[in-house]
Amino acid sequence: MTGHAHKAGQFLKNSERAAWHDETLWIVRRKRDKMARAVPEWESLREQASQIKQHTLSELDNYLVQFDGQAQKNGAQVHWAGDAARFNEIVSGIIKKNNATKVVKSKSMLTEECGLNPFLEKQGIEVTDTDLGERIIQFRKEPPSHIVMPAIHLKKEEIGELFHEKLHTEEGNFDPTYLTAAARLHLRQKFLEAEVAITGVNFAVAETGAVVVCTNEGNADMGVHAAPVQIHCVGIEKMIPRMDDLGVFIRLLARSATGQPITTYTSHYMGPKPGGQMHIVIVDNGRSEHLGKENYRNALKCIRCGACMNTCPVYRRSGGHSYGSVIPGPIGSILAPHSHIKNYNDLPFASSLCGSCSDVCPVKIDIHDQLYRWRQDLSEKKRVSPGKRHTMKMAGKILAGSKMYDFSGKMARWGIKNLPRKLVYNRLNVWGKERELPEVPKESFKQWYKRTRQGKGGENGQG
Amino acid sequence: MDRDKILQAIRENKAKTTPLPKFFGSLAEKQDTGLINRFKDILQQVGGDCFEINGAEELNSFMEEHFPGATDFRKKETWKEFPPDCPKEKLAQLKTVVLGGQFGVAENGAVWLDETRFPNRLVPFIAEELVVCLNAKEIVCDMHEAYSKSGKNTTGFGVFISGPSKTADIEQNLVFGAHGAKKIVIVLY
Repeated sequence: MTGHAHKAGQFLKNSERAAWHDETLWIVRRKRDKMARAVPEWESLREQASQIKQHTLSELDNYLVQFDGQAQKNGAQVHWAGDAARFNEIVSGIIKKNNATKVVKSKSMLTEECGLNPFLEKQGIEVTDTDLGERIIQFRKEPPSHIVMPAIHLKKEEIGELFHEKLHTEEGNFDPTYLTAAARLHLRQKFLEAEVAITGVNFAVAETGAVVVCTNEGNADMGVHAAPVQIHCVGIEKMIPRMDDLGVFIRLLARSATGQPITTYTSHYMGPKPGGQMHIVIVDNGRSEHLGKENYRNALKCIRCGACMNTCPVYRRSGGHSYGSVIPGPIGSILAPHSHIKNYNDLPFASSLCGSCSDVCPVKIDIHDQLYRWRQDLSEKKRVSPGKRHTMKMAGKILAGSKMYDFSGKMARWGIKNLPRKLVYNRLNVWGKERELPEVPKESFKQWYKRTRQGKGGENGQG
Repeated sequence: MDRDKILQAIRENKAKTTPLPKFFGSLAEKQDTGLINRFKDILQQVGGDCFEINGAEELNSFMEEHFPGATDFRKKETWKEFPPDCPKEKLAQLKTVVLGGQFGVAENGAVWLDETRFPNRLVPFIAEELVVCLNAKEIVCDMHEAYSKSGKNTTGFGVFISGPSKTADIEQNLVFGAHGAKKIVIVLY
């Protein structure tokens, strides 16, 4: 079993790095707060965004049809993929039809989800991820650990060594400006060579058939405009009705994600370049089924800003890789079990349920409520580990009866004080793994109350 | 085939229709001088530079003085030199490029450029340095106003650019010039 708790434990072994990770993400969270507070209408923007998404999901079929028609009218070719396998085939089909072997790709969690890179590479197609963070983890053959900052788990020394090996930068030079310049040169070559450019999509507008992509680096645009063929990969939930609605989402996205007022580039692709091809692949891959789950439907509103990760005390202290899912953190923990309940049944427990994720979510997804709901569903379906299930059952019995509760309290107080340490801090005592149990009081609250207050009334005279 | 299946599944699974909320109006008060200062402040915060000059009459002499060797796409002859099918290797040599911006956005320092402003879509991204001339009267308050201006645009490509290309992917250190322009200058006239 290599669940979240185990992998989080591995991450925490390097306490210095874990502390750095925690602090760095907290800085990003504070930047987000500063930005949000500078917009007086922030809360009404969130409400508006949430309602637009709510409405769009309730009319999703119609908006998809409208988008399809508009995009075709603009000269784009629209493809539909029911699942990951079909999606991969469509994309590789477009590449092969153009006799292309060199592909550049900007960030797209959807292509990660569908395993597009390994699929294309098996067919001899070279795929270069062009976002700097993504290129770094592609060199390391690792998945992203954050959806907005894919290489946030790495230190500059590691990246310096990696670039020395892969790009022949000076040994021992870890200066971020120097390393970024080296990556710019390396990727500039890839952009100029590429025959096909693939992007993810932040928003797809039904009214005009436009796809909108936001980046800070400009890598989506460098790829799309340099290559003769552009392919935009979009999940069905990315639809929004009107161009005017973009104003709401663009104002929320970068402020929530990185604490910027807007990303450097907000690009609106409406039609192919002269002599070029523009393809849009609309992907379902489980989303339409998810739409039918009333209690979890809201999660499809997600605009992938990553704010819930930056604020999450568990994510910050366990790292994105500990989740094992394509999308980590609070939103990932409610999305992942929908696709593979068996693989990810521990993720809804990787949360303190503090609710901070729901507070920062720009589209007001009830993230921590959904995590709580998942726990109940998983328990009912007997999808939680036997250890957890039996402990919970026992706790339920103890907490339900006052005699049982009093007795257990007494036993625990006596046990922790008198039993040998080895026996108390046994394998089943997960709480005691990384920390000391609290000091035991001499008596329970009930005993104390009986002794001091019974019959006398409270200090304020209440009976 | 997949199209019908996906649409059918959505029809079966979607929730009861909720209404589409009406447009989110721009809440901020319009104040011309306020907007220009706000635009300049935010532009600086996102790493851009700004010059403000006295009216359109001074623009040409200012540009000649400050950006003498620049490739100026406000001029028709430059379009002839870099036609739409210009090889990208030639575009990759572009150093300082001048474009005429359509409008700016005070709340985030962005300028809107659609493809009527450049012959090839790579131009604003592949240049080392980008200079955008913008009429100071064409600054809107926020993105709601911005989309009411650009939204019905029917060109094939349009972009908001706010500051130079940047990345913080190495230990959250901010570096300018990831892939696109390393420097952006807005000239307000």
